[in-house]
Amino acid sequence: MTDAAIKVEDITYSYGDLQAVKGISFEVQPGEILGFLGPNGAGKSTTIKMLTGQIAPKSGLAQILGKDITLDDPDIQARIGVCFEEKNLYLSMSGKENLDFYASLYGIKDAGSVEILRRVGLADRAKDRVKTYSKGMRQRMMISRAFINSPDVLFLDEPTDGLDPVTSASIRNTIKEEAGRGAAVLLTTHDMFEADELSNRVAFLNDGVIVALDTPENLKLKYGKRSVKIRLRDGAGVREETVALDAPESGELIKAAVGSGEVLTIHTEEATLEDIFIKMTGRGLAG
Amino acid sequence: MSRTVSRASIVSAIVKKDLVEFSRDPLYLFLSILGLVFFIGFFWIAPNTVNETLVLGVHQTGMDALFEEFEQGATEAEGLKLVQFASEDELKKVVSGDVEYWESEDGTQRFFRDKAAGDKRPEDAKRVAVAIGIGFPEGFLEKTAAKEKTTVTVYSDADVPAEIQGAMKSFVREIAYALAGNELPVTEPAQENIILGTDRAGDQVSLREKMRPMLALFVLMIEVISMASLVSSEVLTRTVTAVLVTPAKAGDFLMAKTIYGTMLAMSQALIVLVAIGAFTAENWALLLLTMLVGSVMFTGVAMIVGAAGKDFIGTLFYSMLFLLPLMIPAFSILLPGTASTWIRFLPTYGMTQVLTGITAYGLGLADVWKNLLVASAWVIVIYLAGLFTLKRKVESL
Ligand SMILES: Nc1ncnc2c1ncn2[C@@H]1O[C@H](COP(=O)(O)OP(=O)(O)OP(=O)(O)O)[C@@H](O)[C@H]1O
Ligand SMILES: [Mg+2]
Repeated sequence: MTDAAIKVEDITYSYGDLQAVKGISFEVQPGEILGFLGPNGAGKSTTIKMLTGQIAPKSGLAQILGKDITLDDPDIQARIGVCFEEKNLYLSMSGKENLDFYASLYGIKDAGSVEILRRVGLADRAKDRVKTYSKGMRQRMMISRAFINSPDVLFLDEPTDGLDPVTSASIRNTIKEEAGRGAAVLLTTHDMFEADELSNRVAFLNDGVIVALDTPENLKLKYGKRSVKIRLRDGAGVREETVALDAPESGELIKAAVGSGEVLTIHTEEATLEDIFIKMTGRGLAG
Repeated sequence: MSRTVSRASIVSAIVKKDLVEFSRDPLYLFLSILGLVFFIGFFWIAPNTVNETLVLGVHQTGMDALFEEFEQGATEAEGLKLVQFASEDELKKVVSGDVEYWESEDGTQRFFRDKAAGDKRPEDAKRVAVAIGIGFPEGFLEKTAAKEKTTVTVYSDADVPAEIQGAMKSFVREIAYALAGNELPVTEPAQENIILGTDRAGDQVSLREKMRPMLALFVLMIEVISMASLVSSEVLTRTVTAVLVTPAKAGDFLMAKTIYGTMLAMSQALIVLVAIGAFTAENWALLLLTMLVGSVMFTGVAMIVGAAGKDFIGTLFYSMLFLLPLMIPAFSILLPGTASTWIRFLPTYGMTQVLTGITAYGLGLADVWKNLLVASAWVIVIYLAGLFTLKRKVESL
């Protein structure tokens, strides 16, 4: 299949007078991970809500697996998986019971729920009620639920929110595995490292508009400046010199700087996604 | 990968899940068990004695000697009193309640009071409510003796229990036997039943029996609280959004809630009704049907409440807001006399009347169908309102 798994053309959404999404367009191919980045309130979750049929776009066109999302087609719903921003689990039921229940809504008899829980590191807690899970465990439950029907399209709204670094890394691996078997993944995150590591492409969303959409490398090349930072001993103190790498005279400048004293450290400085975003929106992502 | 899953299996999966959640929540269980124990206990400690005497009005001619004997016997037998009337018309008016019959304390003086005509309350007298009357036609004695067919008219209040009406039949037959000596008359006197009015004064139903319909309704109401909190928790924690991004539709969710709520309310109500001995060989089908109608009505109420409540206390508040007015008709059964007009416009009134008729007065479908129809109309209104409210709430998430 060469058609895009997710195809969005100029969709908008307003909550009353507030226009949360102001006409965005993008595509996600099967096997591709698209990272959605943007400050709080940018419209990331609203976009996911539209694409998963929770709310209907006010205008524009959106297709999942070639079918218009407003059709509310059960055949399409059977092929998507969603990890919500809010942890909406049945607390009085065990992890396994939660997964088995959702599996039955897809008509899956033998869901292999414990196996799926193993992928997120919860197999040994499968029989415990979700009520007794920690915040991070509940988040992992949310992710495992999105995997229950081996979806062709995955929507993950801040999947690693609240996870410790080791668990985050392991969850990132499972997300890569999903993409590896051919699933198209749309994920939002506030973790720039994660976006960089996971995403084939990233979209910067600000105030309901996509302000940049490309591979992380291209974005860094396009918007960032590479440089070398050299720290030198200067008498009793420490001196720091920064030399940009993109100018023709860069080599000469570095030579001069290194020769001017006792070198303590040399670092190459690459632009990060965060630098780029701050530059483009005038504020930090965490704000 | 594409699978097809039937609506029925989606709905049944949701219902199964609801039952698991119900069984895990100590609050729902507590409410249900408390309801059962409390209502059943309440029923069995309620007084079961009838302190009213059944007053039988009689009009006859030419059988004075016979009735003197009966009257004597009646005074000795507790709970029966015989009052003779000079004319059949007088008897009919008294049974229907158009004219009140009063007696002095020693029973020697009699008064008729026509309220509509503005008659005053007789002094030093007490009212005697005549629930049932028998009018013997002129020449009954002779005709029966000659084995001719005659007609005896039995007048009764609408709510006189079937058993008592049956007893009247044997009473008439016995008189006929007595008159014909040892020989059985070839034809039994035919009987005609005329049922008058709806005034319950003087009926022979104990407080305990009157409580049956009330308890049945209360159980349904208790279920509203647990069903509503289950619905509202599903809405508030947004688990419903997770359900709706799967092939399950909003309609499946609502259908599942309807089945779950009805099942829960029905089973609780059945336990109580069985425990308080409301089912009989005659009434069980009609009673089941009525409880089904009631269960759907309260499921509708639970959907409205569940969509409105923001937390458990909110749910409790809205439950009470809806349930208190709905309980009024049930309470009004306990009070003698006819219900005020405004009570008749409450959605549970028809249902209450049907339940009372079936469980306390032994009525059948022929007697209660009108009220059952009224109740069903209300069920449709309330259930649709519940469906609409909850659907809107779910879609607004
Ligand atoms: N249910 C709602 N009712 C009204 N306004 C809403 C609602 N949900 C979101 N909004 C508004 O829509 C805009 C976009 O919100 P959205 O949740 O899509 O942001 P987001 O990018 O997911 O943010 P975050 O990073 O905080 O999750 C915000 O201005 C928000 O206030
Ligand atoms: Mg969000």
